[in-house]
This record gives sequence, C-alpha cells and structure tokens, in this order.
Amino acid sequence: MQGDLSLLLPVAAPLAAGLLVLFVRAFDERRTRNLFTGAALALTVLFTLPALLRGQTQLTLFHLTDTIPVVFRTDGVARLFLVLIAFVWAMVGFYSFEYMAHEQHERRFYGFYLLTLAALMGLSLSGTLVTLYMFYEAMTLLSLPLVLHTQTREAVAAGVKYLLYSVFGASLALLGIFFLQFYCTSLSFTPGGTLDALKVAGHEPLLLGIVALSLLGFGVKAGMFPLHAWLPTAHPVAPSPASAVLSGIITKAGVLGIVRVLFFLVGPDFLRGTWVQALFLGLTVLTVFLGSMLAFKETLLKKRLAYSTVSQVSYVLFGLFTLTPVGFVGALLHVVCHALIKNTLFMGAGAIIEKTGKTRVDELVGIGKRMPTVMWCFTLCAVALIGIPPTGGFVSKWFLAEGALSMGETVYAWLGPVVLLVSALLTAGYLLPISTRGFFPGEHADLAALSKAEPTALMTVPMLVLAALCVLLGMFPGALTSFLQAIAGGVL
Amino acid sequence: MNLLLPVLVFFPMAGAVASYLCGRRDKRLRDTLCCALTAVEFALSAALLLAVVRGGERAFALEGFCAMGLTLRADGLRALYTAIASFMFLMTTLFSPEYFRHYHNRNRYYLFTLLTLGATVGVFLSDDLFTTFVFFEVMSLASYPWVAHDERAESLRAAETYLYIAVIGGLVTLMGLFLLYAQLGTLSFAGMRAAAAAMESPAALYLPGALTLFGFGVKAGMFPAHVWLPKAHAVAPAPASALLSGILTKTGVFGILVVSSNLFLHDANFGDVILFFGCVTMVLGAVLALFSTNLKRTLACSSMSQIGFILVGVGLQGLLGAHNALAVQGTALHMVNHSLIKLTLFLCAGVVYMNAHKLNLNEIRGFGRGKPLLHFAFLMGALSIAGVPLFGGYISKSLLHEGIVEYIALLGEAGQPAGLYRFVEILFLTSGGMTLAYMTKLYIALFWEKNAACQAEYDALNGRYMNRLSAFALVGAAVLLPLLGVQPNVFMTRIASVMQGFMYGQSPEHAVAYFSAANLTGAAQSLCIGAVLYALIRWLLMQREGGVRVYADRWPAKLDLEEGLYRPLLLRWLPNPLVIALTRALDELTDSIVIALRHTLLGQTKKHGPVPVGTHLTYALGTVLNAIVVLLNHTFYHRRPIKTDFTVALAAGLDELRSSGRLISGSMSFGLLLLCIGMYLTFVYLMTLS
Repeated sequence: MQGDLSLLLPVAAPLAAGLLVLFVRAFDERRTRNLFTGAALALTVLFTLPALLRGQTQLTLFHLTDTIPVVFRTDGVARLFLVLIAFVWAMVGFYSFEYMAHEQHERRFYGFYLLTLAALMGLSLSGTLVTLYMFYEAMTLLSLPLVLHTQTREAVAAGVKYLLYSVFGASLALLGIFFLQFYCTSLSFTPGGTLDALKVAGHEPLLLGIVALSLLGFGVKAGMFPLHAWLPTAHPVAPSPASAVLSGIITKAGVLGIVRVLFFLVGPDFLRGTWVQALFLGLTVLTVFLGSMLAFKETLLKKRLAYSTVSQVSYVLFGLFTLTPVGFVGALLHVVCHALIKNTLFMGAGAIIEKTGKTRVDELVGIGKRMPTVMWCFTLCAVALIGIPPTGGFVSKWFLAEGALSMGETVYAWLGPVVLLVSALLTAGYLLPISTRGFFPGEHADLAALSKAEPTALMTVPMLVLAALCVLLGMFPGALTSFLQAIAGGVL
Repeated sequence: MNLLLPVLVFFPMAGAVASYLCGRRDKRLRDTLCCALTAVEFALSAALLLAVVRGGERAFALEGFCAMGLTLRADGLRALYTAIASFMFLMTTLFSPEYFRHYHNRNRYYLFTLLTLGATVGVFLSDDLFTTFVFFEVMSLASYPWVAHDERAESLRAAETYLYIAVIGGLVTLMGLFLLYAQLGTLSFAGMRAAAAAMESPAALYLPGALTLFGFGVKAGMFPAHVWLPKAHAVAPAPASALLSGILTKTGVFGILVVSSNLFLHDANFGDVILFFGCVTMVLGAVLALFSTNLKRTLACSSMSQIGFILVGVGLQGLLGAHNALAVQGTALHMVNHSLIKLTLFLCAGVVYMNAHKLNLNEIRGFGRGKPLLHFAFLMGALSIAGVPLFGGYISKSLLHEGIVEYIALLGEAGQPAGLYRFVEILFLTSGGMTLAYMTKLYIALFWEKNAACQAEYDALNGRYMNRLSAFALVGAAVLLPLLGVQPNVFMTRIASVMQGFMYGQSPEHAVAYFSAANLTGAAQSLCIGAVLYALIRWLLMQREGGVRVYADRWPAKLDLEEGLYRPLLLRWLPNPLVIALTRALDELTDSIVIALRHTLLGQTKKHGPVPVGTHLTYALGTVLNAIVVLLNHTFYHRRPIKTDFTVALAAGLDELRSSGRLISGSMSFGLLLLCIGMYLTFVYLMTLS
C-alpha cells in the first residue's frame, strides 16, 4: 500500500461504522444508533474534504496480479462524485432518522446504508477500471437490502429484478474490461483515453461493438432504455430515503462508469462519428422522451418520480454522448443538479407518505396547506427539474442544448434540444399539478380537514438545504462550471 | 456599473420575503409595508428615469449569474417602462388593502406581487435576451398565484391555462435562444444587432427569431396564443388584472421589440408577419370585447385588441424601414397609453367588484350612478382608449394611422399595389370604432342605465363605496390620461423621443401636427364607425327579458380555441392511445423478452407438487438418519430430543433444491453466470497471452 493514505478514510469510516451497526446489538437502541450513524455520515463528508482541497493524489491499495493494481486516485471527476455523493448521502441519512422510525429493522437498514456509502466512496475514488468494477459490484450487492427492506412479496420481487438487471449490466461491463485490458495500454484512467493505436488498428469494428456493450452495461444502472425497467419497480417499494438515494445517487454510479470508460479509457475521438455514438444518442433521446411520457401517465407519486429519473439521467448521458466539451460540462452539471433535485423530491414524497400515508398523486389536493415547507421545497425542485431559471436545472439544460448544437451537422444537433424541451413540458405536466393543487385546493376545499402535518426539522432541514443549494447553484454556477470546464478541457 | 439597477430588481424581491414574514404576525403592518416598499421602488425608478433623461444610459453587469451573466441597462424606454411598472404596482398596492379586506391568503398575494414586481423590472431593464428570459420566466411563474387567487373552479382552470401556456411559451423561446446563441455567439442586444447586420441574409435567423417571438407573443396575448388572456384577466383580483393587462402584456411587447429592432431591424418580411398577427389580434380582441357581457372580460379583450394596435405599429416599423419615425413613436406611445388606461379601467372594475361582488353587465348596470369619482375615472379611461381627441389614446392611434397611410403612399410612389394595406387601414379604423362601441356599452350600462333589481342598494353605497386610499389610487391614475393628451407636444412628443432610441427610431423631420385636419378626420371616421356599431349592439346584442332589455351573450361558445383545439391537442391528441401504448410497450420490452424466454426456451412453467415425496435415496438416507437420531435421543440428547423426521425433511429439501435449480437455470442470472465464467476463462487466456 503506497501513496496518500488519507484517501482510505472516506471509505474506511462508513465501512467500519456500517459493520459496527450491523453486528453490534447495542445499536438496536434508536437514539444511540442515530447519533452514531449521523456522526459517521458527517465524518465521511469531513473526510472527503482533504481530497477536495489537496488536488490530485493517489493510493495503490494492493495488486490483484502483477499487472492489475487496485488504485484510488482523486482526479477532477473523482472529487466531484466523492463530495457530491458523501454530502447528499449524509443529508438523506439525517432525513431518514425520522422517516425510518416507523419502519422495522432499522439497524439493518443503517448498516447497509453506511456500507453502500463506503462502496460508493470507493467507486468515486477508483483510479482503474478493475477497481471501479469491484466497487460497482459491491455497491449493487450492498444496496440490495435497501430495496428489499420491507420484505414484502413486491419488495423481494423488485429486489430480484434490481439484482438481475444490475448483474447483467455489470457482466457486460466485465466483458468490456477483458477486451480493454488487451487493447488499452493500461486500465488506469487517463484523460483522453489509453487506447493502443497499434493493437486497435484493424480491429475497430470489434472494439466498437465491445465498447457499445460495455457502455450499455453501465447504462443499466443509469436507467437507460432498454434496461431501465428496474427503476420504476424498485423505487416504489423501497423506503423513501432508499428510493431517494437509489434515484439520485446510485443511478449516477452508472453515469460515472460511462464517463470513465468513454472519456478516460476509450477516448472520445475513437467514438466520434461512429455508429456507437449515433446509437447512444438515439437511445438516450428515446429514453428522455419515454421516461417523461411514462411519468406523465403514472399516478403513483414515487413511481412517477422513478420514471422521471429514467428521463433525467438520460439527459446526462445525452450530454456525454455529444462528445463535446460544452455537453460534457452540461452533463456533469446535471449530475449535480439532478442529485440535489431528485433527492429532495423523493424526500418530499417520503414526508407525505410518512405523515399522511398518501401515495397517489390525486390524493394530494391541499397538501401544500398541510405541509407548506415540504411542498415549497418540492415546488422549487419541480421548477428546477423543468429547467426554469434561475435554478440549477436551467443552467445544465442550457449547457446540454448548446453542447448538442455544437455537434455540427447531425440530426441530433437539433433533435436533442427539441426532445429536451418536450420532456421539460411533460415534466411540467407531471410535477406542477401536484404543487398547484397542493397549494390551491379550490374554494370548496374543507379547510378543517387540512390540518397541519409538517414534519420536524430533522426532515425539513435537509430538504431545505438541498433545495436552496439547487437554486443557488443555478444563480451562481461559476465555480462549478469552471471546475467542470477544466475537466472537460483535459478529456476532450 | 450602476448599483441602482440591481437594487431596483432585487429590492422588491427581498421586500417580498420581508412582507411575508411580517404578514404572519401583523396584517395591517404588512399592508403598510407593501405600500411603502412599492413607493420606495417608484421613487427609485423615477430617480433612475430622471438620471437617464439627463445624463445618458446606466448599465450594470453581474458576471456568471446563471452561467451566462446578468446584464442590465437603462436607456430611455427601459427606464421609462421601469418607472411605469413601479407606478402601476404602487397604485394597485395602494388600492389593495381595501379591495382584499375580505379575502383569504392575502399574504400569498403580496409575496408574489412583490416578486413579480422585481422580475418585471428585471425584464424591462435587461440588456441581453438571456437576462430577459430569466426574469421573464420568474415573472410568469410568480404571477400564477394572482390568477389562481380566488380558487374558484374557473379561476383554477384559467390559472392552469395561464401556467401551461406560459411554460410552453417559455420553452419555445428557450429553443429560439439556444439557436440564436449557437448562431450568433452572443445574446446581448447590441451584440445580436451587430452579428445580425453582419449576416448576408436574415433568412437564417427567421426560425430562431420566430421561436423567440412565440414566447413573448404569448405573454403579449398575440393571436393565436391569446386564449389565456381574456380568461386570466377576468378571474384575477382586480389589482392583479390591472397589472396583468397593463404591464405584464408589455413585457411580451418588450420582448417582441427586442427581437424586431435588434434581429430584424427594417426587415419588411418580418414586418409583414407581425402586421398580420397584429391585425388579427386587434380585430379579434375588439370583436370579442363587443360580444362580452362581463365588465372585466370586456376590458381584457380590449387589452388584447390594443396589443394588436401596438403590434401593427411594430409591423409598420419593419415595413417602413428607415422612414419609420411615426410608427416607432406611435408604438411607444400606445404602449404607455394602454398601460395607464388599463390601470385606471381595471381599478374602476375593482371598485365595482369589491362593492357589488358581481361583474356581469346585467347585474352591475346602474352601479355607477351618483358616484362622481368613479364616473370621472372611468370616463377618462374610456375616452382615452377610444381615441377621442384631447386624450392620450388619440395621439398614439393617430401616429399609427399615419404610419399606415405613409406606407401606402410609399408603395404608391414605388408603383406597387397597396390594396392590402388599404384593407389594413380599414381594419385599423374599424377596430378603433369597435373600441369606442364597447367602451360606450360599458359606460352606458354602468353609469346611465338603471338596475331593475338592486338600484336602491347601489345608490345606498354612494359616498362610501371606497376609502380615501383607494380613491387616491384611482384618481391618481385617471388624471394622467387627459393631462398627457391635452398638451401632446409637451408630454407625448417628449416621451416618444425618450423611448424611440431603443427601436433605433429617429425623430420625425417636422414636429407632428397632432390636431391636423387629416388626423382629426381619421379619428372622426373611427368614432362614426363606433357610433354605428354601438347602435348595432343595442339592436343585435340585447334582448328583452321580463320587460327589461338585457345584454345577451351571443358569442357562440364553440368558437373557443382553447377548448376546441389546444386542450384536446395537448391532452388527448398528442399523448394519444397509440403513443401511450408504444411507450408502454417499449417500457416493458426487456421484461417481456425475459418472460417470453422463461416460458418458451427455458420451459419454465409453474408446477406445484402437493406433498414432498422424495426418492428412494432420500427415504433410505432419511431412515438411516432417523435411526441415528433415535440413538442420539436416547444418549446425548435425552434431555432435549431431536424431533425431526428426516425422511420428510430430506424430501422437502430435495424439492427445494430442484425448484431453486429450475429457478436458477431458468433465470437470466444463471446464463450470465455462465457468461461470466466464460469471460473469466477468456480473461485468464488473455493474461497468459500477454
């Protein structure tokens, strides 16, 4: 083990804490466990800060074989995902203390919640594809209990489906590893890619096919058509904090995988103008539309949000596959925005379920009168998801569209932005009525029945923080965009 | 850098939050605070206007706001319109405490009103389309609660329409901005103008220009996106209607002016298109107003028609090219006039509604009898909007009319047919006549006719139908109208020359003779048409019911674009069953493939064995184990004997093993496991190779 040992901390802290929570019976006591979990989450956020501040460092953990090291490295992308995931995970964690109080098996939930965070920290820090793959699989397996949590028939079925899709995706990714190990000079992530031009010469069609399969594999976690079906099944059955992070964070793990393969191993130049780029642009555009349309027709709130995730994560992927610097910036910006937005929306849905037991959209008339703070956050994030200025979603959409238009002469240059806007309209159609009916129940509404049901600060403060961040990020994105532009400049 | 500009934008927004927090404790203090905030805003904007008129433009830029930066600039038009906007907000806010005294949710109203004020000022001060768009969207959303405020069924429906049309308009404009930015590389007004002028042909800009225009046209109430306007303005509380009609529509016009004078300056094609939509809007609005039997709806349709007049002016600017001085001035002045007129008229409507709680002409007729202040204010508004000489509306309409005449003359000089534009002139004069006719209809109904049912009730209100603050707001707005019109060369010409720079207009070579014979003839023609039309109204649009002549709603209900076309289009035809079915099919594509495989290739069907039977082997093994257990139970475990029957347990275990085996071998993951094993072999092979 050599290099910057402080990189171990963000992984080790939640790992140790998670194992303790899982195996020490004393943590059955809610107060102790919540304090401990909260401290562990806060500590993990704290431990990501050195990585953020110290610039690029590296840590070689061990060698699988002589040629396959397991490496942590804090390049730009790693830092972005590290801090984002740790922060959002902690926020949702704090929120869940109140939510989970009415669920069973809290200890198991928090154990796996922390362990999944450890896997995600490792995933963000991964410096080689093999490292990434290890943590990717670990993340899938460790997050499974979050889906299974309620242990009902549907939950188990959803869990199996989640596992099945994930394993299938990972196996495709693994296939990619085998071939890339051969065709790349190294599996270590290098901006711009490491393809060995000599070996590749003559084998382009094969390699393109393999890369496509591998990207499709990572696309499963990102909920890309045709392998998105696990999302709308898994989200409604999981407890709300779990759905929040599944939707807001775990899907981003797939995005990270695609970013790594596309920009740090294969290199954008190899794919530009090929059928692979066209295929994925097509698939992502289709997914954007499909997800929005299905969300528009869905009546179960959490399932509606799940379909919305399908659509929104494909915004990100679309931006990546434009293979332009502006599109890249827009994509990673949307990663951040969507993580903030979707977690808040799911936390809102969770608060509604916890306090009123309502799960269907048509039951939510007057909900704004009952839980104004929650619904204000929900509304702000809905507006941000539609992409109305001055929120974060607007800025990322601006970059995504400009990225698409800078692709030059392809049909997706204009089709992409058009579909983004159609999807935005559908987003308005499936989110705004919840707010408008929630705040404007109509003159005949029974005001007496609309008793206050506002949750405590433990629930509302994380929502407020994320919603406020989302708006602030939209108004002053300068620091983040210049950070992303620096990364984009390196890889494109 | 002038900090006054961002203060004008963000001060009301901060004030909105302050008023909300304040209103949760003390409602009277909140009302006072809001009046004070808007008064300060007006004072600041007036100071800005003075500074701009005296010492030239002021600018402010905030780099990196929303990634693209925020730029504000106050030139004549923008400073003036900021002042007008804050004046209107001040007057309506002064009027609000009394109007809203019996309302719920007033806190919400004030919060969003002040937010809208900030955003509106932001739109008017913006110096690039991006900033315009940002504030435009904030304004659209923040004004939604106005329309929905009453929470009656029709308010909510109108508000829904308002919201979605605003969202659609915003998205279409955004697409236009994407394209413009990709093509021109800048969205600042001056930059766009330079880049557009450098292009060989403006044709490439037509699509992005049209898209950008759409969103602004929606807000302005331009046909065919006008459907929200009559409904929303009619259901909102009166102070909000005044603002929606008087100032929010002007933000749309402002956007159209930005596009027309920076992207398509002096472009005849563009002028023709705007002229066309302007004419349709102008005539349609006026016809709808003639048919309407609801006070606020008539005023709302009138707004639409007047916006049509303004758009005709914008179109003429493009057509007249470098000779567009009169059209520019007419457009600018009609904007100002219409803002102030509609402020007065909607406040009048507010006075009626807060006393009578009704708006239907048959129910409120006679309300104004014996109420001189209301009478005065309404009459000023009506005369001005009808274009009667000595009032503001006459000046601006005359200028626009002269613009048309000038263009016809220009075409005549060039030897081109001008028949089409003669027709436009006729439409213009007829619409002017219709304006007079529907305003007369309102005026006669309110102030001269007697109400058969509750005239005594209305008369009892005389002298105490509004408090001093409301009276101040109403009269303060009304006295401006004749003041501006009586001495046009003092006020109107000056206002026009302050505003025209924004549209790159020049002052006309000679001072305009507003009261020349030609102009007076035009007005007279218009007024005659109006008189005839009013006679027709009384003949055709009234009927006798129970011995009383009442206003009848003769407009065919089926002629409603929203109900007949837009709602079905968006809610039924676009997401039609076919599309839904297709998306559902795609959604379940993978799952159905997996299921199909399980039922066919993998032969996995559900089988239920009743009781585990097991095989000979399990039976034999189980018997042996049972014997051992018996032995153990007698020796080691005699205190806690094992009671399991191993023959049954083993048989059950075997069944379980078989079924899970089936499940595993039938599942995709088993196939994948095999795939993985295969790949691991490949992996090892590759590694030994290297």
